[in-house]
Formats: sequence, C-alpha cells, structure tokens
Amino acid sequence: MKMEHNMSRIHMVSEPSIIYFLQVSWEKDLGSGFDITLTDGQSAWNGTVTASEISREADDMAMERDKYVDELRKALVLRTEPANVYKFDFSKENCHFSYEKSLKDVSFILGSLNLQKVSSPAEVIRELMSYCLDCMADQLAKNRHLQRENEMLQRDWSDVQKRLEECVTAKENLEADLYKRFVLVLNEKKGKIRSLHKLLKQAQQPEKDTQDERESVDDIQSQKKREAAYDESTDEESENLPVPSKAVPGSSSVHMDHLTFWNDKDQFQTLPLAVLR
Amino acid sequence: LSNINKISNVFEDVEFCVMSGTDSHSKSSLENCIAELGGYIVQNPGPDTYCIIAGTENVRVKNIISSNKHDVVKAEWLLECFKAKEHVPWQPCFMIHMCPSTKEHFAREYDCYGDSYFADTDLLQLKEVFSRIKNVKENSPKEMSPVITDLEYRYSWDNSPLSMFRQCVIYVDMYAIINDLTTQIQGTRLSIKALELRFYGAQVISCLEEGVSHVIVGEDHSRVEEFKAFRRTLKKKYKILQDLWVTDSLKEGNLQEENCYLI
Repeated sequence: MKMEHNMSRIHMVSEPSIIYFLQVSWEKDLGSGFDITLTDGQSAWNGTVTASEISREADDMAMERDKYVDELRKALVLRTEPANVYKFDFSKENCHFSYEKSLKDVSFILGSLNLQKVSSPAEVIRELMSYCLDCMADQLAKNRHLQRENEMLQRDWSDVQKRLEECVTAKENLEADLYKRFVLVLNEKKGKIRSLHKLLKQAQQPEKDTQDERESVDDIQSQKKREAAYDESTDEESENLPVPSKAVPGSSSVHMDHLTFWNDKDQFQTLPLAVLR
Repeated sequence: LSNINKISNVFEDVEFCVMSGTDSHSKSSLENCIAELGGYIVQNPGPDTYCIIAGTENVRVKNIISSNKHDVVKAEWLLECFKAKEHVPWQPCFMIHMCPSTKEHFAREYDCYGDSYFADTDLLQLKEVFSRIKNVKENSPKEMSPVITDLEYRYSWDNSPLSMFRQCVIYVDMYAIINDLTTQIQGTRLSIKALELRFYGAQVISCLEEGVSHVIVGEDHSRVEEFKAFRRTLKKKYKILQDLWVTDSLKEGNLQEENCYLI
C-alpha cells in the first residue's frame, strides 16, 4: 500500500521562536491511523496514532468520527486555516505532543500523544529531505508538462482565432461585394422603371392638355399614382392619398425620387429609387 | 480551307473574322466550325463582316474594340452554335464588345450588366451577371455597412440571424488601455466575441468615439469607470453590457433585452 506523506512547518505555543517540521504519513485515509515525525533539525521524535485511538478521541469529544477526522486533516495536513486556529505544543522533556483547535473563547484539544525520541535523527532528517526533494522534482516535472500544454493550447487558440478572423473578413467582403453588385443591377432596373414611368407620363400628357383646368404637376402625379395604385377605391374627396411611407434610414425623401407600386404585402408604399448615392 | 465537310447552312453567306483561339480550341479549329456551318472567313474585318470571334483578348482584339466598328463575340458562342447546329441568339454573356447599333439593340432587352429587363432571372444567370461586373469600386465592408443596413431594412431581411447586430456599432473591451491597439489582451474570450459580433453583422470598431452604440465588457471590470466617464462627454450614450448579452443573443437567435446585461 502506497504511503501518503505530508510535511509542514509548525510553531509550538511554548517556544514560538523555534521552527519544527512535522511529517504526517498515512495509508489511504487519515482515519485509519497515521505516523507522526517531528524534528527541530537536530533531534527527531516519532509516534503513531492508531485507528482505535482516533475513535476513542472522537468519542471523548462527543464528535462524529468523520467530522473528527476532518478536523485532524485540517490541523495536521491541509493547514489552510489561518495559523492561529490550530495550535501545537510539544515539550522536549516528556516528549508530549498535542494539537488543539482554538475558537473565539474556547479551545479544545484535538489529540495528544507521547512521541519517542529517535536514536538516529540524522537518518530521519535525511529521509525527510529526500522526500521534500522528490516532491520538488515531481512538481517541477508536472509544472513543465503543464507549461508545455499551456503553450500548445495558446498556440492553437491564436491559430484558430486567426483563421476565424480570416473567415469573418472573407464573409464581410463577400457580403459587401454581393450587395454592391446587387445594388448596381437593382439600380439599373430602377433606372429602366424610371424611364418607362417618364414615357408613360409623356404619353398621358396630351390627354391631360385637352382638359380645361390646368392642374399642377404635383396634382397630376398624385392623380397618376392614385390611378395606378388604387383602381377600385379612389376617394375623390381627399386631395392627397395618405401614403404610409416608412422612413428609410439614410435616404432622402425627395418626391421625384419615389415610385409607387404594390409591394408583395399589398401595401401602398413609396420607395426611394436611388439606393446608392 | 480545304477538306471541309459542310454539315449545315446555318451561317450561309455570313462573314466571320476569327482573331484568336482559346486554350481548348485553336483559331483554325474555330475557323473549321464556321466553315462547317457554311460561313465565310476573312482574316481582316471589313464592312461586311458579321462579327469578330475572339478566344482571348489580345492586342489586335483591343484595337478592334477601340475602333468600335465591329461586334466582338466570345468563342463560346460559336461553339454553342456548333453544338446546337443553329444560330444561337447573342446574349450579353457572349459579348466582349458591342458596336453602337448592337449596344442599342441590347439596351432595349438588357441592362448594362446583362440582366434582362423582361425575363426572370435565376440563380445561375444572376451569378453569371454578377461575375461579369468588373471594375467594381473597391468599397470596404465598413463603407458598405450603411448601404447593407438600408437594403436589409427595406426588404425586411433585417431579422436574419446573420445580420442580428447590423445596427450596432460596438467597442469591445479587449485593450488594456482604451483605444490603444498595441495593448490588445491576447487570448481573451472577448476577441472571439468581437469576431462573432462581426460575423453576425456588427460594426466592431477599435476606437471609442461618438456614435458607438454598445461597449462589451468581459469579466475584467477595471475600465468600466473610464467607459462611464467618457460616456458623460458624448451626445449619444452607449450601453455598457456584459459579453453574456452577445452569447445569449446568438443562442436565442435574436437580440436579447439589453437592460438585463447592463453594467
């Protein structure tokens, strides 16, 4: 079974100036018992906390075992809480090691045990250092791997972005080009309609001239429009037919520029002829 | 020309002048075609020459064009006639150059781009008409944008998802210093958003100025105050929206209520 290790730097309440190194090692789960190794760089102490001791401590504190193990993990392994939440104490004289959690007003001892002084501390320290160096090598390798992966992702990203940009630009150009051609052809047709419209007007002009009253050009035009567009229901009362013209953005509304016709929704509409000015 | 096997009288008494061949049909094979259909061939066009056939536009063809006396027709027309064994009517797509009288004749039927005034067009024909429009003024998409907006509005195409953002002039917050193009933040999601906006019709600009309708901001809100301060100096106020507005609008296929995304 692979052992898991964790090393951390702790201070003891009774001698805050000295740095201790604490190694906790366990198999699979902290709740199934763990070994503790403590060193100040010169001497080393170790001890074991068994699964039954963990159960007993949890019972003594009237805590659920899982919750208690979770607290142990926070105190001995994770060390993510602010430093002053979990406190440690150790006395070199009687080799008693204790760890406690301090809340606002109360603090309670999570656990305590008597450690054994190790006869060959150099070896323990060597092992700890090897472990740390192994850890560092692992991290470096992982770091390099991630960095390489990251660079690759970034390269792919910028590549795809460039391609996407090309696609978007191509779409914009194609669209602009198609519309440009469309406008040219459309305006040719409108020019033709315009000239036919003029011919029609010229053809009807002599007819008009025979009438006695002379109407203004504008009136003739509106008359034409009415005849062309409203065969069945010409309202003779109203002078000008109300023309529901939509405001078309960006185009002028010069009267002569408009043609009247039925659009496909059968609505009477005026449209400017010139699309491109 | 000898050994000609005359197969038809389609071109009987019609005089042609072939100027050049094409890659697939040489000048002489084109001349053979004419002869087989009963036509005459001359090497220099005269007053009785019906038309000039040109496969490629070389200097001689250009000279003929500038003299403006003869019609210059593509070799394709001749090949069509040969294939059909009849006199195929000229269409704008066959014409390289038209002399004034032919032009006048065509002007009654077709506009100057070769689109018929009277006959319905179809996808293929319109494509052909479009492809023949040369020397189109080089308008940038930016210049075309208002024209496209007008057209889409007029013909009610403006509800197409592809032109969803057509009315929008957008500044995307992807420069560490506003308006400084050299400070573009690399690899940010916003640069993709900018491309998406452009794809769906928006005018994405890199300079915050009067006329901007939206500013799109990502997770980094550090420049929001600056955007707000600048907005106070403008007559037309822009909206500052989260990039989620773009994402959601694209997902739903229409512009989402802007007020839900205000910053």
